[in-house]
Amino acid sequence: MITRFITDVSTKFNPFAPRSKTCRIFLSLLPPNARQTMKINTVLLPRESRDRSALSLKFKDGKAMELDTEKLGIKGIVEEVDRHSRMLDRQEELNG
Amino acid sequence: MPPRIPLGLRQSAAVCPGAAARTPAAATIPAAALIHARHASAVTPAASHEQMTVSPPPIARYPTTQPPSHKPPEFRKSQLHRQYTSLLRSTPLMLLFQHNNVKASEWTGIRRELAAALRKADATIPEGSADADLASGIKFQIVQTGIFASALQVAEYFHPEQQQQSATSSSTTSAANIPNATPDPTDPAYTHALSRHAWEATQNNKLSHALTPLMSGPLAVLTFPNVSPVHLKAALEILWPSKPNFPAPTRRVNPGYHEPAVHSGLQKLLLLGARVEGKVFDEAGAKWVGTIGGGLDGLRNQLVYMLQGFGAGLTNTLESASKSLYFTIEGRRTMLEDEEKGGEKKDGEESA
Repeated sequence: MITRFITDVSTKFNPFAPRSKTCRIFLSLLPPNARQTMKINTVLLPRESRDRSALSLKFKDGKAMELDTEKLGIKGIVEEVDRHSRMLDRQEELNG
Repeated sequence: MPPRIPLGLRQSAAVCPGAAARTPAAATIPAAALIHARHASAVTPAASHEQMTVSPPPIARYPTTQPPSHKPPEFRKSQLHRQYTSLLRSTPLMLLFQHNNVKASEWTGIRRELAAALRKADATIPEGSADADLASGIKFQIVQTGIFASALQVAEYFHPEQQQQSATSSSTTSAANIPNATPDPTDPAYTHALSRHAWEATQNNKLSHALTPLMSGPLAVLTFPNVSPVHLKAALEILWPSKPNFPAPTRRVNPGYHEPAVHSGLQKLLLLGARVEGKVFDEAGAKWVGTIGGGLDGLRNQLVYMLQGFGAGLTNTLESASKSLYFTIEGRRTMLEDEEKGGEKKDGEESA
């Protein structure tokens, strides 16, 4: 996953919900120095909570992304993030 | 082969005349004396009835410490499975963390700070208590998630001590079912964590442990050999600080905690849940266990105090009816007496 262009990650999930797996794996995919390069905000919901898990990202160009972690698997999320990141990568290359 | 017995003179002489001439003593034995020997045979005692019907107990072809297992025991994952099952069976208090790309240097720092905090907690507990000297037994280790999930199923749902009774009652030795000498992993006598029966016990799809949803992604567990809220509080203050009850150590008290390596590592830890005495708690539940003052003894004291208060309240309630009756009657009596006295006084005043 290309994480260079992410500036802000905020997640909210109940770890006891099976669907929260996607959020947790996304957090584990961030590089070791992620806390220095981006703002990461994680909210753990209590066990009885029925709220849906949520993941929202912000990119360097200002694009905000709300991803539905209940429907998309981790593969789908990586695909969505990479699609935008590749575009930013190309722009950066063209601008020099 | 029949035994060799010297035959009659004439026959032996016919077979080998030279030999007969050399042994005159043999030649002097009359042939009639050897007749009984002609029919003799080497006698070995016949096999007893028991030996014919029952085979001797099979010799175990494996060391007692290495019984046959369902999975090949030489694999690392089999041994990890064994280790995790034993860990889950022996630890009453366990915290589950997710670690997101924590570096080795950060782990070192975190473990160092944790050990220091736990030693400090140890010092506050008086000698002789059950919670004394726990710090060396508290371990923070990364676990292989899939193997840990499987070990959790075995530890929760495989109870060999219950199954053993049914196995012994059903297995009656019959001639048709002579135990085989080669080890058979399906034998119900094998009840270790890697046995076929342990595996079968976890194959029921309806079983789903409350911790199962946590078994994905990178996992680390903090295990305590005893339920000690004091140590839990010390650990939470380091690993999962939160403001009112579990404040992180200040920079002045513990400068090592605020080193960048430790701090960046701690930011990447997430407290997912806890398992206390087999029950599952979430993050808030784990904190609640940490706030029980004085450990189990403290909890017992609280209960005793509560029950005493309850008893006193009950006696008060039961007494109150009779008391109020007594007060009413007493009040009425005094009132009547007063009235009588008052009447007497009035009479006295009138007569005076």
